[in-house]
Amino acid sequence: MHIEHLLTFVTLGPAAGALILAFIPGRLEKVQRWAALLISLAEFALSCLLWANFNPDIAGFQLQTAKVPWIPQLGISYHLGIDGISLLLVMLTTLLMPVVIIASWRSISEHVKAFHISLLMLTTAMLGAFVSLDVFLFYVFWELMLIPMYFIIGVWGGPRRIYAAVKFFIYTMVGSVLMLVGILYLAYSNHLQTHVWSFAYSDLLKAGRQLQMGHSFFTSPQMLVFAAFALAFAIKVPMFPFHTWLPDAHTEAPTGGSIILAGVLLKLGTYGFLRYNRPMFPDAWHAFVPLILVLAVIGILYGAWVALVQPDMKKLVAYSSVSHLGFVMLGLAAGTIASTEGAVLQMVNHGLSTGALFLLVGVIYERRHTRMIADYGGIARVVPVYTGLFLLVTLSSIGLPGLNGFVGEFLILAGTWRRYPVAVIFAALGLIFGAIYMLWMVQRVFWNPFTHEENKSLKDINLREVLAVAPLVIFIVWIGVHPTTFLSPMEAAVRSLLMH
Amino acid sequence: MPTQADLFAVAPELILIAGAGVLLLIDAFAPKLRQISSELTLLTAAGAAWALLALPHPGAAWSGMMRSDTLSVLVSLCLLVAVFLCSWMAGPYLRRANKETGEFYALLIFATTGAMFMASSIDLLPLFLGLELLSVALYVLNAFFKDVDVSLEAGLKYFIVGAFAAAFTAYGIALLYGATGTTNIEVMGRTLGGGAAVSPVLIAGFAMVAGGMAFKLALFPFHAWAPDVYQGSPTPVTAFLSVVPKAAALIVLLRFAIAFDLLHMGHSWVWAAGIVAVGSQTLGNIVAIVQRDIKRMLAYSGIAHMGYAMVGVIVAGTAGSSAVLVYIAAYTVMNIGAFAVISLMSENEAEPHLITDLAGQGWSRPLAALALSISMFSLAGVPPFAGFAAKFFIFRSAVNQGLIWLAVLGVINSLISAFYYLRVVYILYMKPLPRRVPDFLRSRAIGAVAGVSAALVVLIGLYPTWVFSAARTAAKLLVR
Repeated sequence: MHIEHLLTFVTLGPAAGALILAFIPGRLEKVQRWAALLISLAEFALSCLLWANFNPDIAGFQLQTAKVPWIPQLGISYHLGIDGISLLLVMLTTLLMPVVIIASWRSISEHVKAFHISLLMLTTAMLGAFVSLDVFLFYVFWELMLIPMYFIIGVWGGPRRIYAAVKFFIYTMVGSVLMLVGILYLAYSNHLQTHVWSFAYSDLLKAGRQLQMGHSFFTSPQMLVFAAFALAFAIKVPMFPFHTWLPDAHTEAPTGGSIILAGVLLKLGTYGFLRYNRPMFPDAWHAFVPLILVLAVIGILYGAWVALVQPDMKKLVAYSSVSHLGFVMLGLAAGTIASTEGAVLQMVNHGLSTGALFLLVGVIYERRHTRMIADYGGIARVVPVYTGLFLLVTLSSIGLPGLNGFVGEFLILAGTWRRYPVAVIFAALGLIFGAIYMLWMVQRVFWNPFTHEENKSLKDINLREVLAVAPLVIFIVWIGVHPTTFLSPMEAAVRSLLMH
Repeated sequence: MPTQADLFAVAPELILIAGAGVLLLIDAFAPKLRQISSELTLLTAAGAAWALLALPHPGAAWSGMMRSDTLSVLVSLCLLVAVFLCSWMAGPYLRRANKETGEFYALLIFATTGAMFMASSIDLLPLFLGLELLSVALYVLNAFFKDVDVSLEAGLKYFIVGAFAAAFTAYGIALLYGATGTTNIEVMGRTLGGGAAVSPVLIAGFAMVAGGMAFKLALFPFHAWAPDVYQGSPTPVTAFLSVVPKAAALIVLLRFAIAFDLLHMGHSWVWAAGIVAVGSQTLGNIVAIVQRDIKRMLAYSGIAHMGYAMVGVIVAGTAGSSAVLVYIAAYTVMNIGAFAVISLMSENEAEPHLITDLAGQGWSRPLAALALSISMFSLAGVPPFAGFAAKFFIFRSAVNQGLIWLAVLGVINSLISAFYYLRVVYILYMKPLPRRVPDFLRSRAIGAVAGVSAALVVLIGLYPTWVFSAARTAAKLLVR
C-alpha cells in the first residue's frame, strides 16, 4: 500500500465495510456484530499507521492523497490530507468506533445489520469531514452525517426518538444550507480574481481572506459569509443559544449514538470554527470574537446550571456537554497558542470523558431501565467496580489534576487569561459548578442511603463493558499524565493557523 | 421534399410513432398479443434511444424549424428514460386492475413524442403541435381508469386547464408573430437583438406563451390543477406526468430566455420570474407539509421543484442552462423512483395513498423502502444524491449572476422541504407495521424500476460529472 492512499483507506474504509456488511444475511446477527467490530478495529489500526507516519514538524497538510478530479469543470476534486489538529480528531473517531460497537453489543437487538451499517457510514462521513481538503467534498461529508445519525436516533432511540431525530436533522440542516451559499460565494469570488474555478481549501482560504469587510454587517461580504459558516458550526457545537436540539438528541439516542454525538459530532462544529472561520475570514473573526466569547461564557454557565437540576443522568451529561464545549469555544476565541492547543486537546478530552460517561450511564440503564437519579442511591456497595470507573471518569470530566480534563481546561484558561481575564473569571465559576453537578450526581447515585430494594440485585459491570470503557480510561490517564504525546503533533499546525 | 438530414433529425420520433401504431393495430386486430404490449413499448423506447445515440445529428433541420443536437439528444434521452421506466412499471399495475391494453402504451408513446418535438423545436408551430400531441394523449391517460371517479376527475381537470393553457399559448404565438413577423424563436431573438423596439404586443405574446408553459410546469400561480390530477391519475401516469411535460416546457422557456436574453432585458423579468420561482418553492413546500396523501404531497413537491428549476431558467446562460438540464435528469429519475414505489405500495387505485399506510414497510419491504428513502433524501437535496447535485448547480448559477437572494431563498426552501420528505422516511422505518398488514402489490418489474431509478439517483449524485459535461455541451450550443 502506497502511503498516499492511506488516508483514502482510513476514510472510505468504513463505507466499504458497510457495503460488505450489507451482504451478510439478516439473521446472522452475531456475524454482523463481529464483522463490524473487526472493521472498526482495522480502522483504528490504520489510523495508528497515520499517526506513525505523521511528521509533527510540518505545519501544513501532509499524507495528502493525490488530487482526483471529481467535477473538473468546476475545479472540484477528491483531495484529502491531515495536519496535527485533524490527526487527533481522526484518532478520537477511530478509537470511539469499536467502543460504540462493543457498548451496543446487547442494547441494540433489533435491526442489528442496519445499525452497524449506519454506524460505519457515519464514521466515513465524520472522518471525511475532518480530512477533506476540498470544500465541496467537505460539505458532502458534512451533510452525509445527517442521514445515518437520523436513523440511529430515530430507529434505535428512546420513546421520543422521532421528535428528536427530526429536530436533529432540521436543526443541523438550517445551518448547513446557508453554508452552501457561502461556499458558492467563495468559489465565485475566487473565480473573479483568478479566472479559475476551484473549490480547493487552499484557494478558498485565499478568496475568503480577500473578501471586503464593508462598513456594516449587511454590506460586508466577509461578515456575511463568515456568519453563513458560523451558523452551521455554532449549531453543531452547539453554542448557546443554538443548543436546544442537543438535550433531545442525546437523551433519545441509544447509548452508542450518544457516544458518537458527544464524542465526535459536536467536535465537527468546533473543528469547523478552527479550520474554516478563523483562518478564512480573519477580519470578520476579530469582529466577532467578543460575541463568541460572551456566548461561550454563557454556554459554560448556563450548561452547568441546567445540568445541576436535571433529574435524568443522561440529560445531565448532555447539558454538561454544552458547558464543556463552551470552554472549547472560549479557547478558540481567545486565540493564543496555549488556549487553542488547550481547546483542541479539550475536544479530544470531552470526546473521551463524555463518551465514557454516556457509556457508563448506558450500562446501568440496561440493568434497571431507568436513568433517573432518584431511582438509585447507595449503590456503591452493590457495584463497586462500576462505581470506581464512574468516579474516575467523573473526576476526569471535572478536571482533576493528573487526568485529561485538567490539562485542557488549564491550557484554555491560562491561555485566555492574558487576553480576556474577565471571561476567565466567569468561566472558572463554570468549573466550580461543573464539579458541583457531577459530584452531586455521584453522591446521590452511589453514596446516599440505600433506598430502592430493586437495586440490591444490580449486577456489577461485566467484562464486555469493561473492555468497552477501558480504551477511554487508558487515554484519560495517558493525556492527564503525559499530555505532550498529544500536544506535540498539533503544535506546528496550531502555530501556523494562528499566524494569519 | 425532406432531406436525409431532416429524417435523421426525427428518426427517434418516427420509431416511436411506428411503435405506437403497431401497438394500436395489435389492440384492434390481434387482442391475444396484448400481453406483450408492455415489452413492445420498452422495445420501442429502446429503439428510439438507439436511433438518438447512434444516428448523426444534423443540427438545424426541417428548414430551421427544429434542431437536432446535443441539447435535443440529452432532453430526449431523459424523456425516453421516463417513458421506458413508466411503461415498465405500468405493466403489473394495469394487470392488477385488469386494464392492460395497447392503447395505454400507445398514448404514453404519443405523449413522449409530443414532448420530444416540443423540446427540439425552435419554431413555435411544430412546438405547438408537440404540445398538443403531448397534452391530448395525457388527458386520456389521466382518465384511463374510467370506473374510478378520481381518475375521471383528474382527466377532466387536466383537460380543462390544459385547454386553457393551449389557448393561451396559441394566442401568445399569434401575438408574437404579429410583433416580429416570424414564428421562429431564434429569428425573433435576432430581430430583438438588432435593436428593434420591444412592443407591448411582443411582451403580451411572450407572457401568454410563458403562462402556457407555466401551466404545464404547475408553477405558482398556475399550479392549482396539480394535486388533484396527481392524486387521481393512475400512478404510472402520474409518474410520467410529473416529469415529461415539465422537461419539455422547461426547455421551451429556456430557449426563450436565451434567445430574448431576458436576464438583461431589464429587471421586470427577473422580478416577475423570480416571484414565480420563489412563490412556487414556498407554496409547494409549505402546503406539502400538511398533505396526508403521498401523491398530493409529491404534487406540491413538484411545484416546488419546478420553482428551483426556474431559478436556472432565470439565470440562463451556459451555467443556468446546464443546471436546468442536470435538474431535468435528476428530477426525472428521483421522481419516477418515488412513484414506482408508490405504485407498489398501494392497495387500490381508488383509495387515497396515505403516507401513514407506509408504516413499518422499511423493515418488511426493505429494498422498495430503501429506494423510496433514497428518492426522498434526493428530493430534499441531501448529498450524496442526484437532487443535491442538481440544486448545487442551480444555486451556483444564481450566485454567479449576483442573484444571491434567489439562492438563499432556494436553500431555505429546501430546508423546509426536508421536513415532509423526512416524514415519509420516518414513517417507513420508525413507525410499527399496522395490525392489519396492507395487501400491497408485489412485482419484480416495478421493483426493478425503483431499483434502477435509485441506482441512477446515487450514480448522478456521486458522479454528476458525466451528466454535467453533456449538459454543458448542450448549453453552449443553446447559448451560442
